[in-house]
This record gives sequence, structure tokens and C-alpha cells, in this order.
Amino acid sequence: MSPEFSEKTKKKIEEIVARYPQKEAAILPILHITQQEFGSISAEEEKLVARILGIKPISVRELVTFYTMFPKESLGKYHIQVCSNLSCSLLGAGNFVDYLVEKLGIKPGETTPDKKFTLSTVECLGACERAPCMMINFNYYGEMDPKKVDEILDGLK
Amino acid sequence: MKEKVLTEHFGLENLYKIDVYQKQGGYRATEKALKKMKPEEILEEVKKANLRGRGGAGFPAGVKWSFVPDTDKPKYLCVNADEGEPGTFKDRYIMSHNPHMLIEGIIITSFCVGISVAFIYIRGEYEAIALRLEQAISEAYEKGFLGKNILESGFDLDVFVHRGAGAYICGEETALLESLEGKRGNPRLKPPFPASVGLFQCPTVINNVETISNISHIILNGAEWFIKQGLPKDGGTRIFGVSGMVKNPGIYELPLGTSLKDIIFKHAGGMKEGKKLKAVIPGGMSAPILTADEINIKMDFDSLVEANSMLGSAGIIVIDDKTSILDVLKVVTKFYSHESCGQCTPCRIGNSWINKIVKRIAEGKGKKEDIDSILRLASNIEGNTLCPLGDAAAMPILSITKKFRKELESHL
Amino acid sequence: MQEKTNEMIKIFIDKEPVDAEEGTTVLKAAERAGIHIPHLCYHPAFPPEGSCRMCLVEIEGFPKLELACSTVVKEEMKISTKSERVVEARKAVLEFLLAEHPLDCPICDKAGDCKLQDYYDEYGLFESQFKEAKEKREKKLKIGKSLILDQERCILCTRCVRFLKEVTKTQDLGVFHRGVHSSVNIYEGASVENNYSGNLAEICPVGAITDEDFRFKTRSWFLKEGESICPLCSRGCNILIEYHPGFSRFELPKRVYRIKARENPEVNGFWICDRGRYGYSYLDERRADQIIMNKKEGENELTCENISRHLGEKIKNLSSARKTSGIALILHTWLSNEELFLLHEIFKNDLKVEKIFFADLPDGEADGFLLTSEPSPNRRGAQEIGFDIKTVDLGALADGTDFLLAFGPFLSGLFSSKDLRGALDKIKTKVLFSSNSNELNSLFDVVIPVALIAEKEGSLTNVEGIVQGFQPVLEPPGESLPEWKVLSDLGKELGMDSKFYSEFTSPEAILSEMGKKIPFFKKKND
Repeated sequence: MSPEFSEKTKKKIEEIVARYPQKEAAILPILHITQQEFGSISAEEEKLVARILGIKPISVRELVTFYTMFPKESLGKYHIQVCSNLSCSLLGAGNFVDYLVEKLGIKPGETTPDKKFTLSTVECLGACERAPCMMINFNYYGEMDPKKVDEILDGLK
Repeated sequence: MKEKVLTEHFGLENLYKIDVYQKQGGYRATEKALKKMKPEEILEEVKKANLRGRGGAGFPAGVKWSFVPDTDKPKYLCVNADEGEPGTFKDRYIMSHNPHMLIEGIIITSFCVGISVAFIYIRGEYEAIALRLEQAISEAYEKGFLGKNILESGFDLDVFVHRGAGAYICGEETALLESLEGKRGNPRLKPPFPASVGLFQCPTVINNVETISNISHIILNGAEWFIKQGLPKDGGTRIFGVSGMVKNPGIYELPLGTSLKDIIFKHAGGMKEGKKLKAVIPGGMSAPILTADEINIKMDFDSLVEANSMLGSAGIIVIDDKTSILDVLKVVTKFYSHESCGQCTPCRIGNSWINKIVKRIAEGKGKKEDIDSILRLASNIEGNTLCPLGDAAAMPILSITKKFRKELESHL
Repeated sequence: MQEKTNEMIKIFIDKEPVDAEEGTTVLKAAERAGIHIPHLCYHPAFPPEGSCRMCLVEIEGFPKLELACSTVVKEEMKISTKSERVVEARKAVLEFLLAEHPLDCPICDKAGDCKLQDYYDEYGLFESQFKEAKEKREKKLKIGKSLILDQERCILCTRCVRFLKEVTKTQDLGVFHRGVHSSVNIYEGASVENNYSGNLAEICPVGAITDEDFRFKTRSWFLKEGESICPLCSRGCNILIEYHPGFSRFELPKRVYRIKARENPEVNGFWICDRGRYGYSYLDERRADQIIMNKKEGENELTCENISRHLGEKIKNLSSARKTSGIALILHTWLSNEELFLLHEIFKNDLKVEKIFFADLPDGEADGFLLTSEPSPNRRGAQEIGFDIKTVDLGALADGTDFLLAFGPFLSGLFSSKDLRGALDKIKTKVLFSSNSNELNSLFDVVIPVALIAEKEGSLTNVEGIVQGFQPVLEPPGESLPEWKVLSDLGKELGMDSKFYSEFTSPEAILSEMGKKIPFFKKKND
């Protein structure tokens, strides 16, 4: 079945669209909502967004593949994004990723078979003073070390 | 008398709430500007303050505003909150600790330029901060600082938060406009400049979060006071972000012109236990690297240009002697290769090519001619790209490769 | 009417003073002065893109190299297009482009016709320093009815994407991903299905989009090109016909291999439609190349040379017997202005023939852009000359007619063979002038092979009333000859105003005479 937004979401989208003098400008906010509701933006979701904005699905694809925050495939319940940029790698982000790879049994870009965790390495998250840092979904965690990450991950259901 | 300007009240609990902010004198600048000043007077004051852009390029804000033509078209303000320059996190602090200071700046700027819609373009990862901004904005609406006929001045303003979605290039002002219009973040050709043809083809002011956050202080305390906080040609303070191998990483608001050595060794507590300084990137990753013996330098726009580097976003990354420069170069080249929008030839292919060479060297398959190739390719990117990202990539690559050539050659 | 022109200013290109139109770009000013500045993404149909970086030039007073495609000229601007810095920058851009390019020129259909090859020849000729693995992409993606996309050859100039966005407004192609992974692509299940798709292969500066209609049929360097007008609708798009001049040792299946758009801002801009681009088989297929005689009446052998005398005698006989009311004419609007004018003079004005019909292909549907509903190039011309465009009525045609002169192969498409035969059987003498053979050949006494627009000289009046001249590109096959020749000879033969007809040694002369008689055809600058 093709995805559809709830009435509530549709209203919210209308509100967002009204902010801009050109409808297409609302596409990033709408894609964020889509990502939140459906967990990924595959061809079906692209078509849904295209329909709402009255544009072609290819125009949505051009954006979805340009920006990094709209994965095509569903991610795990917890998306662990480890910064691999300079300040973090100076303070051991590399080792930290290795630890997560071993602990979760997946490589960056992969999802655990139980769909609980997806591991990614990403560019600078803007929290360099807390290196090495990571995000789990939209929460920031800093000064990471194996002990700390054990506590954090074990606390996640 | 030099003092903290932007971060003064950051320690205060719940500063992000409008009541707390107002108790500290918040929105007095807005009242002064809208009730007692004419737009021309505000522009004059900001020009006199020599407030230079805090995003990286350092263009004087007042001059930028004065480029906006007098037209019947709508005008827009875009606040650049797409903080993505590695080593930079100051805007995150401002927006999460004191969002109303930013909103005040937006109101005054918009009033000055004749803008009635402002967008805060914030990087997608800062979702929590975007929510905080939205809360602050709705508080401001409730108190009548936003919306119709603000403080009975006849001036209307709406402010919206617009989240990016993971693309460093959208911090480049014209890419930001494209992204905000719902397109791929491909930078535009200039001219025309955004001040005349910007968002939705209308005149647009684009300023960084920190730049706009200074406005209320300039209005309250005057341009003269502001210059005294910094340098005559470079008014105000800078929020330096220090990260890497220092004892106390974090933000430090200091007068422009503070020495880099002092920032690292006095303010940030010096190197971590047992580490020795090897190199510093002084203004976000795009700034050319400085070696340990080049840190006796004043941190302001002009001094750094003289030292063939740049103040950029004032994100200072401190590198220790145990760190391999090849690893640094690998991170740098991977970043620009990953973040190139792909639109223009030298940046799209050059950055990927250099990254491929560096990775090969790191795999132990380096060739004698590789170092010269890196230098040649980076020089061929520099100055030849559509937007500043090409230079932003070439500058650190060239400086790292030149200054640490011997060490890099030891990997071949 | 005086064209509105901008002020001219003086600039210097490579130290030479050059007059440039105010407001124009460095690239356009240079081209006007005959100086080519290399470029890939720039196309005159679109605003400057500035992404390929090939057109960088040095301008005095500018610290960086600037784009020729987007920089607007200023009075006294001093531009270097060949300085060492400029040449180095071009080399650098080429080196980047070629680094990720497959360099599969031997199997690339675009070879010989490729800007990347040309520029490498001009500015490159360096040894590749690229020792890394190239990005892997789709090599053979079918993106439209006759289009193949090779993403590895693509240099991301995005001309194709912009064409589909700005011209057809169909947005069939887009750029996916970013950085070095960027690639032009199509949405799954979608296809470039508009009547202008062929333009994509034409504007692609490299071998990324190739056309299956042309691909691997020949090599571009064997071909010659000539300027012509597309006859397939009344827009009159300006075209280039690319044909093979032939080998001495073996026979080719055809002469014409490709039709391309030729720029004309007043008529078709830079584009032609797919109907015009791909519908060129009529130029080579079933061509009539020798006279056909189906009925002998004990007369001398007819040839293309003596046909006008023969027809002249017949008509003179009818005329002296006051039987010109028995003459009927079937015309069509692929005939040139000049030919239609002669027909009008001879048959309508002088002989007062009343039964004049037209047999063109039935009207189609206009596409809202270039393609019109009229499937022939000169209906407007026929109207301006004074013809009433009446479609053939077989009953009226056959009634009392004993001499029929018919032109064109189109009659066969309008009626069933049975009806045609029934009507034509009633007419005693019938002569057909036709370029392409079909069933009509057996229904007429004599069939005279004639040249097509691509093979003769003349002019056409397009749907908007623009009169456009054309010159022969190809040799008329065999004995075939242009109708204007037969008709002007016929006029002389009939002794009608011999002074008038003897002037007609070329279509140009006919057109100039037309201008005197019909104000519409008076040359605008006369």
C-alpha cells in the first residue's frame, strides 16, 4: 500500500507550505516530517511528497540523494552517528568506532539484524568541544569512551 | 574596558526563556530601535561598529545591508545557522543558551532593512536547538515582539526556522538560498549578489548567527563601545571555539586580537597531559594550518591574513605531536570530497582525486610523485571553482602538505 | 523596420580592440569577433551555468580568472583568452574531467564530434596522472525512445537536465547524489517521451547521450552537412542535413544519416522536433529516379528533358480547341513559393483553369511548441500566392476532365486505391510529378521523377509568414529534376509572355518577379 499522511500531519504540512511564497520551498520540512513518519524515504515516499507539492518524483529524488538525512532504507530504532571529523578523530573517534563495530557486530552503514541499531560515521556534528561525540537519533553524547557508550546503549530499550 | 558581550549570561538558568532574558535587560534594544531610532540611524550605527561577518568571510555587516536596493519587492533575512565548518560550535551555544538574543538581532536587522520575513536556516542535526528556537519565537510572538505592528511601530515581522538536511555546502550563502527554496544546495553564480537577487529572486540579507546576535548590543551600547570590545577595524568580541588536544575545550568569548597562544595555553588550559603542540587550525577546517612555532599571532581578520591563514569561523583545532599529519590530511580530504556539491568540475573531481591519493598513501601504496600531485591538484582547484568551497578545500590541503611535506614523505 | 540594437562599446580581447554590444558577455563578444572560447556547460539557449569552468579567462583588474560565459563586458575591459594562466586553467579543468572519464573513445559514437576530444587536442595532450580507481556508473541506460545515457562519459554540464526543465518543462532527467558521485539519471519506470527528445543527444557536448537512430550506423567524420529547411510541418525549422558523400568502392544503404537543428531565433531557436529529426527516410526510400511511361500513344520517347515541350504541345492543343476547361490540377504544399507561383501564373491566370485541387497529408495535431498541425511546409505560401486550398474531390476531379497534371505522392494516402483508380480511369491523359514511388505510379500515364526540397533551390513561407530560402544539399537522384525548371520551361513553351518567362533562370529570379506582382513576397529590405 502506498503511504499516506495522517489528517493531522496534512494540516501541519499545509501550515508549513503557507510560510513560503513558493510551494516547493516547503520540501525540506516536509521531507523531515516524512522521514519521521515513515522511517525512510523510498520511492513510495518520494511519490507521496511529489504529489503533495505538485512536482515530479524525480525532483524529490534529486534532493533526497543530495542531503544525507533522508535514508532510502529504514534505519534501526536507534541511529548511532559517530563524528569522524578532525577534533573527534584527534581524540580517538577511530578507536571508538572500532569498539562500536565490535560491540554491535555491524560495520558503519549497517543495521543490526534485530533492527535496533544502525551505525554511521558522519562529518562534523558541531560538538567538537565534546570530542569524541556522537548522536543517537537527535540526542548528542560527548566525551565518549567504551565505558560510557556501554552505559548509554545498555540503557536503550 | 573589555567584557563579555554575547556569552555574559550563558551561565544563567533558563536564559532561553523570555522572562529570564527580559530580566537581564532583554528586548530593551528592540524597544530602543523600534521606538527611538530610524532605520538609517541603525544602519549608520552598525556600519560605524565595524561588525564583520562571523561566518567566515568577515564582510562588514552594515555594508552588506546597505547593498539592499530600495524596491517594492519583498525583502528577506536569512540567518545562517548551518554551522558545519569542522571545529565550529559557537552558534550552537548561542542558539541553545540565548535564542532571544538572536531573535532581537533579527528584529532590529529586519526593521533596519525593511524586511518582513526572516528565516533561520539551521543545520538538520540541530533538531533540538531548532525546537528551542521555535519555542523562543512563539514566546516573542506572545509578547508582541514578532507579528503585526510590533511595539506599535507599524512594523511587521514573521520569523521561521528552516532545517537543513545534512550538507555542509548549504552554509555557503547562495547554496543556502537554493536549499531554502527547496532545491539541491548548489551554489549560485555571482553576480547577482543576494542583496539584490536572493531568496525567491528578492533582495536578501544573509548573516551568521553570531553576527546577528551582536546587533542588540551595538544598539544598546553604541558603536564606539562595540569597537572598544575589539579592534577599530574589527569591532566586538569573537566566540572562539577550542577543540582538539587541549585540557579545556569549549567556547571562549574574547576580544578580537587576542593571541592564539593565549587562547590555547591560558584560556583553554594548555595541552592535555603529556601532549605537545604540533599544529593549530585557527579558523575552522578551511583555514590554512599553523605550525607550533606560528602561534604567536593575534586572532583577528587582518593578522591572520598576514600570516597566510584566516580567522574564518574562529574554530580552533589543536593538534598534538602524536597525531600523524597523514591522518589529519585524510580527514580533511575526505571531508571536502564528501561535501562537494558536485556542480563544478575542479571541486567535484579534484577533491575526490586528492582524497583517493591520500587514502592510497595511508594504505602504504604511496608513490614518490604523490606529494607533488596533491600540491598540483589542490592548486588547480584553488581559485577556479564556482563557489568558495574550492578554496576552502585547497587552502588546508596546500598548507598541510607544504608545511609537513617531510612527514608526509616518510609514508611513501 | 529598424532592429533595436544596443550601444556598442570597445573592449580588448587578446590585445586587439573589439566592438561589443553593451550588456553582452565576454564569451558572446569574443564569438562575435571570431574568437572561440572553449566551453562545455554554456549553451546559448540557457542562462550561464558556470559549472564546467572551461571558459575561464583573464581580465585585467580581476584577481581570479573569470567566467567568459557569465561576465558582462565593460567599456575598455581587457581580456586575455590565451594567456599562460588561462591555458593552464583549461588544462587543469580538462585533466579533472578526463580523470573520471572512461576514455573509451574507440567505441564511443561521439568520437570525432566530441568537445572533450577537441579540447584535449587543443589544450591537453598531457599524459594522465590519474592512478586511482575511477567511479563506476551506468554505461548503457535507456532514457528515451531512442536515447542512451552513459553516466561514465557524462561531464555533468547538465545541458540535458536544463533543456528538459526549461524547454520541454517535463523534467525527465535530474542529477542524483552529490560530489563525485553525482550523476544524471532518470526516475525508474520513467522515460524521456516528448517530441523534442532528440535535442538531448544533439546538445550533449560529449558521448554521454547518444541517439540510437544514429549510433554505430556510420562515423561522424565521414559525413558532410548542408543547410536546409524541414518540410515536415509548416514551422519551417532550419535544419542541417548530414549525409554521406559516398565511398567509391561500395554502396551505402542511404545518403542521409542525421538531421540536426540549425539555429534561427525567429523560427525554431536552437531546436527541432523529433518528427523532423527522425522523419528523414523519405529522402532515400522509394525514390523515383527515372521517368515511367505506362501508356504509349505512338509518340516519341519521353524524357525528363523533353517533357515540358510535350506537355506544352498537349496544352496548346487543348487551348486552341478552347478546351482548357478539361484541364485539372492536383497540387500540394511541399512545392516551393516559386513553383506554386509559376503554376498559378500559367494555369490559373493564363489558362483560367478552374479545377485546382490540393493533395497534402491530412492535418495532424500541433504540439504547442514548434510542430504545427499542417504536415507540409508551404501552405501559407500557396495562400499568399492566391490559391484556394481545396482538397481533392474525386467526383469533381473526374467530371469533364481529360487532362490531369498531378504533383506529389500524397494523393495515395487520401483515398482507397479502388476509388482513385475509378476516378482516374475516366481521365484520358494524366501526368504525375512525384519524388517518391507509391501506387500512384501505376495509375498515371507518365510519372516524372522530381527533386525534394533537400535537392533543389527555392523558398518556403512558414506558418507565420516568414519566407525562407533553401539551397540544394543533395543531388537529385537519377533523372529527377526540380519542378520549377519544368514549369518555367512550360511557360516558355506555351509562349506566354515570353519576356516574362525567359527571365526565369533560377528560383531567385522567380521570387524577385513574384515580389513585383505580390506585395507579400516583396523582399523586406527592397
